[in-house]
Order: sequence, then C-alpha cells, then structure tokens
Amino acid sequence: MNKKYFWFASLLIIFSLVLAACGGQVETPTEEVVEAPPEPTEVVVEEEPEVEEEPELVELVVWADELRAPIINDLGNQFANEYGVSLTIQEMGFGDIRDQLAVAGPAGEGPDILIGAHDWLGQLVSNGLVSPLDFGEKESEFLDAAITAFVYEGQLYGLPYATENIAFFCNKDLVDTAPTTWDEVTALAVDLEAASDGEVTAWIIQTIDPYHHFPLTNSFGGYVFGLTDEGYDPDDVGLDSSGAIAAGEWLQDMVEAGHLSADVDYDVLHTYFTTGKAACIGTGPWALSMIRDSGVNYFISPFPAGDTGAGRPFLGVQGFMVSAFSENQLLAQTVLDEIFATEEFMQAMYDVDPRPSAYLEVRDSTDDADIAAFAAAGATGYPMPAIPAMGSVWEAWGNATSLIITQQLDAADALADAATQVRTLIAE
Amino acid sequence: MSTNNPTARERKLSLALLRKFFSSMALRILGLAVVDAFAIMLLYLLLRDGVWPIAAILVLTTLVVNVINFSDRLIPLRWMSPALAIIMLMVLYPILFTVYTAFTNYGDGHLLTKIQTIRRISQDTYLPEEGNVYHWVGYRSPEGDFLLWLIDEDGQAFLAQPDKSLEQVSPEDSQIGQLDNAGFPLNVEGYTRMELLDVIPILDSQLAPLEFGDPPLTIRIKSIREAAQLKPRFEYDDEQDLFIENITGTVYFADESQGQFTSSEGVSLNPGYQVEIGWRNFDRLFNSPALSGPFIQIFIWTIVFAFLSVFTTFALGLFLALVYNDPTFPFRKLIRAFLIMPYAIPGIIGILIWRGMLNPHFGVLTTNLVNIVGWTPGWFTHPIWSKVGVLIVNLWLGFPYMMLVCSGALQTIPSEIYEAATVDGAGVWQRFRKITLPLLFVNVGPLLISSFTMNFNNFAVIYAYNEGRPPIPGTITPAGYTDILISYTYRIAFESGRGSDYGYANAITIVIFLIVASITLVQYRAMGTWEEISENV
Amino acid sequence: MSERELISQKLFDIGSWSPKRRNQLKLGAQIVITVIFVTFALFPIIWIFSASLNPTSSMANQQLIPPNASIANYQELLNNPLHPFFHWMWNSVKVSSITAILSVFVTAFTAYSFSRFRFRGRRSLLLTILLIQIFPNLLTMVALFLFLRQIGEYFPLMGLDSHGGLIMVYLGTQMGINIWLMKGYFDSIPREIDESAAVDGATHWQSFWMLIFPLVRPVLAVVGVLVFVSTFNEFVLASILLRSTEQFTLMVGLYLFVTQNFAQQWGIFAAGAIIGAIPTVVLYLILQDQIVSGLTSGAVKG
Repeated sequence: MNKKYFWFASLLIIFSLVLAACGGQVETPTEEVVEAPPEPTEVVVEEEPEVEEEPELVELVVWADELRAPIINDLGNQFANEYGVSLTIQEMGFGDIRDQLAVAGPAGEGPDILIGAHDWLGQLVSNGLVSPLDFGEKESEFLDAAITAFVYEGQLYGLPYATENIAFFCNKDLVDTAPTTWDEVTALAVDLEAASDGEVTAWIIQTIDPYHHFPLTNSFGGYVFGLTDEGYDPDDVGLDSSGAIAAGEWLQDMVEAGHLSADVDYDVLHTYFTTGKAACIGTGPWALSMIRDSGVNYFISPFPAGDTGAGRPFLGVQGFMVSAFSENQLLAQTVLDEIFATEEFMQAMYDVDPRPSAYLEVRDSTDDADIAAFAAAGATGYPMPAIPAMGSVWEAWGNATSLIITQQLDAADALADAATQVRTLIAE
Repeated sequence: MSTNNPTARERKLSLALLRKFFSSMALRILGLAVVDAFAIMLLYLLLRDGVWPIAAILVLTTLVVNVINFSDRLIPLRWMSPALAIIMLMVLYPILFTVYTAFTNYGDGHLLTKIQTIRRISQDTYLPEEGNVYHWVGYRSPEGDFLLWLIDEDGQAFLAQPDKSLEQVSPEDSQIGQLDNAGFPLNVEGYTRMELLDVIPILDSQLAPLEFGDPPLTIRIKSIREAAQLKPRFEYDDEQDLFIENITGTVYFADESQGQFTSSEGVSLNPGYQVEIGWRNFDRLFNSPALSGPFIQIFIWTIVFAFLSVFTTFALGLFLALVYNDPTFPFRKLIRAFLIMPYAIPGIIGILIWRGMLNPHFGVLTTNLVNIVGWTPGWFTHPIWSKVGVLIVNLWLGFPYMMLVCSGALQTIPSEIYEAATVDGAGVWQRFRKITLPLLFVNVGPLLISSFTMNFNNFAVIYAYNEGRPPIPGTITPAGYTDILISYTYRIAFESGRGSDYGYANAITIVIFLIVASITLVQYRAMGTWEEISENV
Repeated sequence: MSERELISQKLFDIGSWSPKRRNQLKLGAQIVITVIFVTFALFPIIWIFSASLNPTSSMANQQLIPPNASIANYQELLNNPLHPFFHWMWNSVKVSSITAILSVFVTAFTAYSFSRFRFRGRRSLLLTILLIQIFPNLLTMVALFLFLRQIGEYFPLMGLDSHGGLIMVYLGTQMGINIWLMKGYFDSIPREIDESAAVDGATHWQSFWMLIFPLVRPVLAVVGVLVFVSTFNEFVLASILLRSTEQFTLMVGLYLFVTQNFAQQWGIFAAGAIIGAIPTVVLYLILQDQIVSGLTSGAVKG
C-alpha cells in the first residue's frame, strides 16, 4: 500500500517537473491577447508573390462570408501589401459573423475587421462590439443614405460599400409598361387572367416575407417603426396604422378576387416570374443572374403607388466595421480609410461582385442598366431599422400576412394582432 | 498442454508477467501520474489567469479520477473513469454554466463583464471644440524614442516629444534638417525619419499610447497622418464607480441591479454588463404573457409530437429490422444500405427536399396527388395536415436509426427461445408479442425514452419544416400550429425588444429540462424498466 | 359451415398451405415491402441528387431530370481553391473516425462495468448519466467555446480551431445514450461466461478482452456507426469551434453556401451532401456483417 503511493508520488513529481520545463514555452498571456490564430496560412489560396526585402507584414484578421471572402482576399491583399499589411480572411456564414462576434470578440478571438449589414448596428453597438469610425471629408464621396445607415446614436460605425434593395420587375412580353399604381395591378390581373384562362396573373408576392411586403405597406402610408430625427422609435409601432391596414386590405381584396395564391415562397415567386406565369414581382439583385439566365424579357421600374405615393423598399447597406476588441484599432481604421475607401478598391469590388456601390463615383458610372435601376429604386429607400426591437417584428408581421393571404383573418384583425404581439415582445 | 519444454515454460512465464504488468497497479500508477501532472500544470495556468470555473471543474474531475483509481472499493468505477471524466468536463460543465447564466442577465446589451464594459466605454474619444488637429511625421531614435513633427491647420509647425510640451522650433535650428515639400524635416539629429512601412507595424502597439503636449488636452495619434487633441468621451471614477461624460458633464451611475451605467434622467450607456439577477428570469417566465397564450395547446402537441415520432420511427425501424433479419433474403445487404441512406444525409437538406416535394405549387408529391386524387392536403397551411407533414418528415429522418439499433438488439435474443416457442405452438404474432418485444424493450427502452426527450426539444426539425407555422390567429405572442414548447418559448427570449436574452433563454431551458426529466422518470416507472434493471442485477 | 366459409377458411389458414406456397407468399410480401420502403427512403434522396444537377439551385419546380442538367454544381464545389472540398471531407472522416473509435472503447469499458459489477449507487449513476444527456444543449455552445478557448491558450492542439478540441467535445455528446445502448447488449451476455472465466483464474480485464469483447461485436459496430454518422453530419458545434477554412469539416464548409438570406446555393449544397453521404454508406456496408452477426450458441457452452 505504501509502496504504491511512494511510486505514484515520485512519478508524479517527475512528470510535473518535465511538464513545467516544457511548459515554460507557454507564454504568459498578456492583456493584449493574440489577435490572430497562430497558423499563418489560414486561407488556401495561391501564395502571395514573394516580396524580397520586406519584413513580415502585419496581420489583420478579417471576417467575411463566402460571397465576399475571395474578393477581399485577392483585392484586399493586393492593396494592403503595399502598406505592409496582410489580411487573413476567416470565412463564415453571413449571419454567423454577427452572432459569433458577440462571443468571440470579448473573448479575444474576434477579428479586426468584419463585413456586415447596417441593421446589425443596434445589436453590435448595444454590446459594445464595434468601434466608432471617422473618415472626415471622405464621407461625402459616399451615398448619403449609405453613410446615414451606418450612423447609430450619432456615431458612424462602418464604411459602406454596397447597397441592396428590391425593385419592381416586369415581363415585357406580358405587359408593356409597368403598372404605376396598385389599382392598375389589380386591373392588369383581371386582364391577364381573362386572356390566359387563369394561367397567367399580374403580380405575385411571397406569403410570408415582410421584407418584400414593405413597399406595398408604405405606399399606403403604413410603416414599421416611426422615423424621427434620432432614428427609429421602438415605441411607435406602425403595423396597425391606418396605412398599413389599407395596404393589408388591398392585399385581401387581391386574394379574395383570386388574383393572389397562398403558399408562395422565394422559389415559387421566381419560378412564376421566369416561366411567365406572373407579369411582375419585387425582387433583389441576388436574383438577377437567375432571371437573366432564364431568358425572360424583363425590365425594372419603380414600385407602384398606393394612396400616399410610390412604394419604397427597405434599403440594406453593407460595409466594413472594426471590432472594438481588436488590438489594432488604428491600423484597422487605416486600412478602411486608406485602402478600402478608395475608388480603385470600390471599383474592383464592384467589378467582381456587381451591386449598387455606396461609393458615388462607382455608383454613378456603372454601365449595367439593371444595377443602375436598383440604385435608382433604392435612392428613395428606407434604411432597414437597426434598432434591436426590429427583431421582434419579423415573425409577427410574417404571420399577419400569412393569415391575410390564407384568408383566416381580416387585414385589420391580423395586423392589429401583429402589432400587439410586437408590443408585447418589446415590453417583455 | 504440458509445459515440460523449458523454452515454452519461459515464454509462458514472461507472457504471464507481461500480462500481470499490464493489468497491474504499475500501469495504473503510471497513467495516473501522467494525467495528474497535466492536470496540475493546467490548474496552475488556470489559476494564474484567474479562470475559476474551469479550474474548479478540473479539480473536481481530477479528484474523482484519482479517488476512483486508488480506492480498492471503487474498482467498478475505474472502468468508467474515462467516460466520467469526459462527461464531467464536456457535458456537466456546460450544464452548470447554463444554470449559472440563468441567474444572470447575460444577453444582448449585457454581454460583457463590468471590467470589459468600463474599458470599452473609456475607449471612445472625441475632438473637443478647442482641440487642434495636426498632420504629423514621426522620427525614431536608435534607443526607441519617438519624436513627432506636427503641423497644425494654420501651418504652424511644432516639435513634439512624449509627455513634454510642444516646442516651436525655428528653421535655423541645427538639429532640424531641411524641410521637404510638405513642410516636414527630412531628418532630425539623433533620429531617423519613419516612412509608412515603418509606422504600420508599430502604429497601435507603440505609437497610439503616446501622449504629447500639456495635459489636460494632450495630443494623440489618430491615424497615419493625423494627430489630434482628443479627449475620452467618458471618464471613469474608480472610487465612486461612475462615468462622467466630458462634453455635457452628465454623470452615469453604476446600476448593479440592471447592469448598466445610468444617468439620473434614465439614459443608459452602451454597452451594459452582466450582473447576477437572482430569480428574476424565472419570475419573468412565470409571469410571461406567453404562458397565458396557447400554451396548453402547444404543450399537448409537443408531447404528441414526441410520442408519435418515437412510435412511428420505432415501429417502422423494428419492422424493417425484423423483415431483413432473415438471412435468406436476397440482396438484403444492399437493401439495408439503401434504407440507411436517409440517416446518412444531413437532416437540413432532407427537410428541405421534403419541403420542395410537398410544395403546394410545384412539389412533385402534391402535383401528383392532385392529378390522381384531385386534392392535396395543406402541408404547410392546415393546422392538422402541417402536423402530419412534419411527422412524416421526422419519420423519414428517424427510422434508419431505429432500424440500426433494432438490428443490433435483435441479435441478443437467442434463436433457441424462438425454436422452443414454435415447438410449443406459438404463432408469429404471439412470438413477437411475448418474446421479441419484451426482450427488446429491456435493451432498447432507454433509447426510446431518450428519443422521446430529443424530439420533445426538436427545435431543428420544427423550425426547418415551417418555423412553427401555420400561425395561430389571435395569440398574444407569435405562435404556430407546429410550434413545440421550446420553439414557442425561445421566441420570447430571442425576439425580445432588446435582442437575444441568453440568461432568460437559459432559465427557460432549465424549466423545460425539469418538465422533460419528470416525464422521463414517470416513463421509467411506467415501463417497469426500474424493475427490469433490478431483475438484471 | 357453408361452402364459402369453408373455402375462405382454407384460403386464409396459411398454416395449412404447402411450404412452397408459403414461401412464395413470403417472397411476394418481402418484395412488396421492399419496394414500398426503399422507395420511401430513396425517393427524396434521388431528388437531392437531382437538385445537385440543377444549375439554377432552385428547390421548387424541380423535375426529376432538371431541364439543364449539368454537373456545374459539382464542378463548382470540387474545383474552388478557396473551398477545399476533399480536404474538408478528409477532416470530417478523420474527426468522425477518431471520435467513433474512442467512443466505442470508452463506452464499452463503462458499459461492461455497469453490466457486470454491482455497487451502491449504480442505478442512480446510470439514471444521472441519462438525465445529463437529456439536458437541452442549444445554449451550451457558449460554455464550450469559452472552455476550449481557455484550454487552447495552453494546449493549442486541444483548443479552438483544432480537431483535438472538437473531438473532445464530440465525445462528450456521444456518451450518455451509447452507454445505455451498450449496457443493454452487455446484459444479454450470460453471466456464466464471466463466472467460468473467473473460475479459471482470469482477471476482469482478461475476461473482458478475450471473452466478452468479441461477443459484443454487433453493438460495437452499431455504436461505431451511430457515432460516426452523428458527428459527421454535425454542424452547429463545429461551425462555432472551427475558424480557419482548412480546419473545417465538410458540413461547416457546405453551410457556407446557404447562409445568405436570399440566393442560397442549395444545388451546391446538395452536391456536397450526396458526396458526403458516401463514407457513411461505405462504413455501414462494411460493418453490416458485424451488426447482424448473431450469438453463436457455441459461445455459451465454451
């Protein structure tokens, strides 16, 4: 018995000493936690061309989604290397960037720079995850609405690079000029259905996708949150406003007249359009290549108008932000300021992934008519609310449109319920 | 088996010795020593870095493992020590973490610790009205000292050294070299001019912290070109635990009950910080409007969904296992490989394909049903049929698992029993009911129960199928007909006005766990597994 | 009894049919059952395959053979230098295999102990293990992230963005239920085997390795497959704990294609899923024999 313990104790001491000796290599983590994982080659890409005399480049970690990662990796590094900076891209799902930043950032495992959407700011700023930025006079080189979208509670938090919004697509083979009011849409529906024995209709929309319903809603004066000088006001919920209900009632009329079917989702929406069964839809630049490939003779117009004016889509702005937990605050902002906020970089981004650029020079000089049309449609867009309360809205609003289109509730009731649900969730 | 042969005897002896060594104490001691040495070292590092929770669980685990392996009375547990260690570290610890978090307000707006929050708020700076902005070029001496040449907006030039007042230097000063086009000296005696590529690597690490000029308006480097007299927007008072906003003078007090710095007018600073809030999350849950909504309806559906999922997958899985248990069946290996395929596909795309097949407009199943029968159920819109739909999808996803498990479990029933029963005149159905099922249940019972609880909380399938929809009209919080308890309640936690409240969600998790654990215990009693276990003892 | 009743009684009294008729009926039934259920199992998979051949990546309006069927999705998936598909696949196979092998052994030891030994608190411990496993783990990811991050500072091989850390986490998730599964199987091995081995002077260790272990091959194979498949298809934990592209497992990599709000590339995902199913099916084919090998009566007597 004693022998057993004796052996154990001595072995333990021996091993502990051995480990302590080897473990001397484990650095004392300082306050400044390592900003990038130890592996120098995270991205499988061709090796950067050897730069003969330069000392090692300073590494900055960038989080990007799979759409933009390759671009930033190639372009970004091209430009950045001249500044002695090397950008290491870590790829993850677009939504994951925001979610993982919340845990990784404070834990010291976050990026220096990240790509994101402006409506994340509510959450990011309330968690202290991103740093305020200042580009001085350069800000005037960007679309005003884009810069404003990245301003939250009076501070600028991002460098915009592209805007996105939906626009009104119509099929030239089915309708010569786009309907300018929603009543015209109804009339067109009647005509087309009569002519085609019910096979073809004028317009179709997803049953549940409030993002796409928004232009309809605000064309009648409806709104989601009241917009003040300080931004969106979570105490002013507009889902049951008279304008919103008016829009809902138009929707209800369409359904009751048989012009709009239920169970329409993203895929059904585009299939109807590309196979010529619906003359007009609202969709965004993400669908552009699919629509072009299908050969439909499409053209883009402003949204039809309701009682108060033409429909205005939600405007989403994407841009670069700096993590507040980055150890390289000034350097990251420098990269944004000197490298990304330039015409060359913005143009190069556009060339590789065409979307309406937030940089005015590039935006105005685009020769792609469709991109220009999207830009025009977005010029009057409402920036998507960035306040945290927005998260309470989507489900309730989607349920309301679903109940209206499946004719289980009247528009007034469905929207009143939705507004109540949103208010309940916000108050929770 | 004589061991008269001397070499054979030697060999046998050394083998026996070797065997004895391996199953002996010696190996155990060696192994334990290695493990403990690692643990001690890890413990030291964790304590040095002040990570108490992980250190605590590590100490606990190590103690458990050691006690088990040393005590002769605990021999049975020795076999389990790897499993117990893994469970304690990887499963128990996260549960304890979850439980702890349920008593905090961890979530959006309160993600950071108080120290992190203070640091973050102190980080922001601004340019006061009287502050100047300068263009700068830096110079570094061989000893590592820095020097800046500043030119302000009026064109005035200054020499700046860290923590010293600005100096106005005349151009004739011998130390200053010739000025370049922009007005910056090409060299300064004792220093070398830093170019862009020299500045970049040290911008944050060495240049940013430097302060030039006279307090309180010191000049700090702001970018690679600009330096300015920046002030922090908020200054922290250590003793009184509050922030003062420099521009307005507003004071923000630390509110420990909410985890925020709040002014007397009720304005709070971003970000807030985590605080322990006791039972508040549970209070909130039990007073939640969601509980007054269609809660009972959803609870019942959750139980029904879990039960039917288990029942259908088990029934089908067992049936197929039995059918293909027959060795004379041709191609049975291939067929079973086909049947296992739904299990090999990631669930999410399986569900999506089903959504596509059941799509009311274009889905292959729905269009064919309409062609044949003239009607198709509302797989996503009808309160009952959407439930049927999600059950069918869950059946498809789950039956291979049951088939696999039953195939293995069927092997434990010796064929002699069947033969004896047949001799006694038992029919197929009787053999199944009286022999197969009971013997199988002993084996498979716990799996059924665990499958029940998994499906009780099967957020993934419900959400991927239709996000809990079709919506139930007139509810006070969003609710759908296919919502189960967890998807319904998590919604309040994740769609609250502030964003995601993880503390609240964890409180919900604990309550749901208690519900599920009670059901599980009840099921054990009902199934008589308790007695089965004691019979097996 | 009327004549009709007599005839129907004769028809349905299968017991009185000739063996040949009975076999034909059995075969017929087997064929019908096979067709029905193989169709049920495979039909959606064929559609997934069809989706992978569809260059437009739309999941609605699918025909069995897409109009522009092409292998574009496969090409895109396999040839993109930024998305090293085969490397990801290898990572998945590696992680899942190691987890499966380790799981099998650790669980077997544990199950043996629960099955063969009797000690105070045995039943409570068993139930505790099961209850722990029942705890909804939707939110334990944060805890594991922080845990691995801390450990990773000292042992990078076991921390974040490492396969070692991921394997450790996976082992934890696979413990509870598999212990129960194995224990049930162990219970069915008669005690006489152990007893006669003890009479012959064998230690527990020896009787485990040489007698019991070979006899429980079916459940070892079952657990091996179960662990392999669950970890291979696992995505949530892996996407949080792995950061660099090279470390990604297959599922994490595939999910990159479908995380945009709109324009998800399900066609590419489908292609990846089809290829990703191959290791599982291969493993199952290999282990099938083990799973259904029965107890030979010789073992009881020997």
